[in-house]
Amino acid sequence: MTFEDLTTIAPLILAVLSAAAVLIVDLIWPGRSPLAIATALLTLGATAAVTIVVGQSPSTAFGGAYTVDALTSFLDVLFIAIVVLTIMFAPDYLLPRSLPVAEFAIVLIFAMCGAMLIAGSADLLLLFLGLELMVLPGYLLAGFHKSDSYSTEGAIKYFLLGAFSSAIFLFGLAFVWGLTGTTRVDGVAEALSAIIAGDAPLSPGLAMGLAFLTTGVAFKIAAVPFHYWTPDAYQGSPTPITGYLSVGPKIGAFALILRLFVEALGPLSDVWLPVIVILSAITMTLGNLVALTQDNVKRMLAYSSIAHTGYMLVGLAAYAGGQMDGLEGLLYYGAAYTFMNLGAFAVIAALQKRTGVTSSLGTFAGLGRKEPLLGILMALFLLSLTGIPPTAGFFAKATVIVAAVEAGGALTVLAVIAVLNAAAAAFYYLRIIVYMYMRDPESDAPALRHGALMWGGLAAATTMTLLLGLLPSALLEIVTDAAKAIATIP
Amino acid sequence: MSDSLDAYLVLAGILFAIGSFGFLARRNAISMLMSVELMLNAVNLSIVAFGAFIPELGAQGSVIALMVMAVAAAEVTVGLAIVIAIYRNKKTPLVDEYDAMRQ
Repeated sequence: MTFEDLTTIAPLILAVLSAAAVLIVDLIWPGRSPLAIATALLTLGATAAVTIVVGQSPSTAFGGAYTVDALTSFLDVLFIAIVVLTIMFAPDYLLPRSLPVAEFAIVLIFAMCGAMLIAGSADLLLLFLGLELMVLPGYLLAGFHKSDSYSTEGAIKYFLLGAFSSAIFLFGLAFVWGLTGTTRVDGVAEALSAIIAGDAPLSPGLAMGLAFLTTGVAFKIAAVPFHYWTPDAYQGSPTPITGYLSVGPKIGAFALILRLFVEALGPLSDVWLPVIVILSAITMTLGNLVALTQDNVKRMLAYSSIAHTGYMLVGLAAYAGGQMDGLEGLLYYGAAYTFMNLGAFAVIAALQKRTGVTSSLGTFAGLGRKEPLLGILMALFLLSLTGIPPTAGFFAKATVIVAAVEAGGALTVLAVIAVLNAAAAAFYYLRIIVYMYMRDPESDAPALRHGALMWGGLAAATTMTLLLGLLPSALLEIVTDAAKAIATIP
Repeated sequence: MSDSLDAYLVLAGILFAIGSFGFLARRNAISMLMSVELMLNAVNLSIVAFGAFIPELGAQGSVIALMVMAVAAAEVTVGLAIVIAIYRNKKTPLVDEYDAMRQ
């Protein structure tokens, strides 16, 4: 290990130290949640600053096992933003239920370390370790309200299927490693190019490995038909944690796809492209159709998050079909989805500050008059999730769909399916808005007072949702650089 | 065939299939956890077999197998903690009865 290695992994070291700092602060002054939150936000801010500085100069560490390029720093900053916003939204929900805020922040930051490790991995083994470090704290977070039967029920379903899919993924990884003879991502890509150059069909072992890897990853991003854990895990978890689970592990799993499928398995893109097209089409269609029938908003947003996985896969398919724009669209979609979805879950968490309030549609009845500001923000996030201009969601959907149309062939059909789905999705998003503005409140309970952190977090999510819709060029430059870092097609 | 890489890979595949079957057929959360462990052991067997039969992979194989064992241990710890938490709430380890959210 050299000094250069240490500067390259400085963001990761700082992320681990952030969690340790909160741990120590909570140990010395137990139960002081404002202090723990302040420590977490300060250390995470420092981590973000260092990530941006280190990201200026691409470098590799530990003999090429870990790499920092434009993609790594883009994803790292996105993960830090997700965790910072989640920590800001959480106290209003956790404190009235006497759940510990400091432990929550610590487990969350450890999960972020795993996601950041995935973003920079250039080695199959590191990818697997990062994946596990990201999902294990996720299981704990899902069951964070351990005396609540919904929370533990969501956690056990999330855990069992998560462990099952990790085993499947690892089996695929073992075969790809054994048959290509290297764990390095670029080495695997070279070995695969050599294997397919002879026009020989894929050996059975390699084909099986690829199938297992695809299945394992499909579980992690909650693509249909591997999505069964999602609705229960999302509905059962405490609301701020549902917000995190719907973006953090999902973007993390997409980072895994970028490093594994786009980089390592890039030479086999002709083999996995049809699978991704089919997964994408059924994922968005089924996600949206089932979401239409839901009366619980958290469960509805769980199915909506399945549908959004489908839209993101459109970007991946467009890339495999030869369009660089597809990859840029996928990254842009990830960023846009993060802020609008976290914002929507934050509004639900804010309403649930009063214990006993459920996430059923009735909770939203008359919200527009009772809490006008919260109503407007929720409407904005829902319109963005629908994909109405000038919000982030519109531009994100437009980029992936245009990329798919440009790729042509079967991908044009996929683009048409995506457009039809976006139209169908409008029904259930707008249904919440109808409840907010055209129904009378179900209870006479007075409006709640929300904490400054909650308003601060909502302001940040709103700003980003509007900014990514009105001024897309700023982020577009960043995602273009990030996409160029891993793309193998010009 | 008893002393070839393929034989060990087939054995690993059979173990993995038994584990998957156990996971899908069993309804007890602890049995499902054990089935996942069986699957992870099948993976480890295939990794060690690759390492033993392909000389260049020998050193890597041992390290990867150790890592997989560590990850499996961490996973079981988290899993058992969650099983205990839900057992306190529901008084049953049977996953069929965890259906409070089914609509």
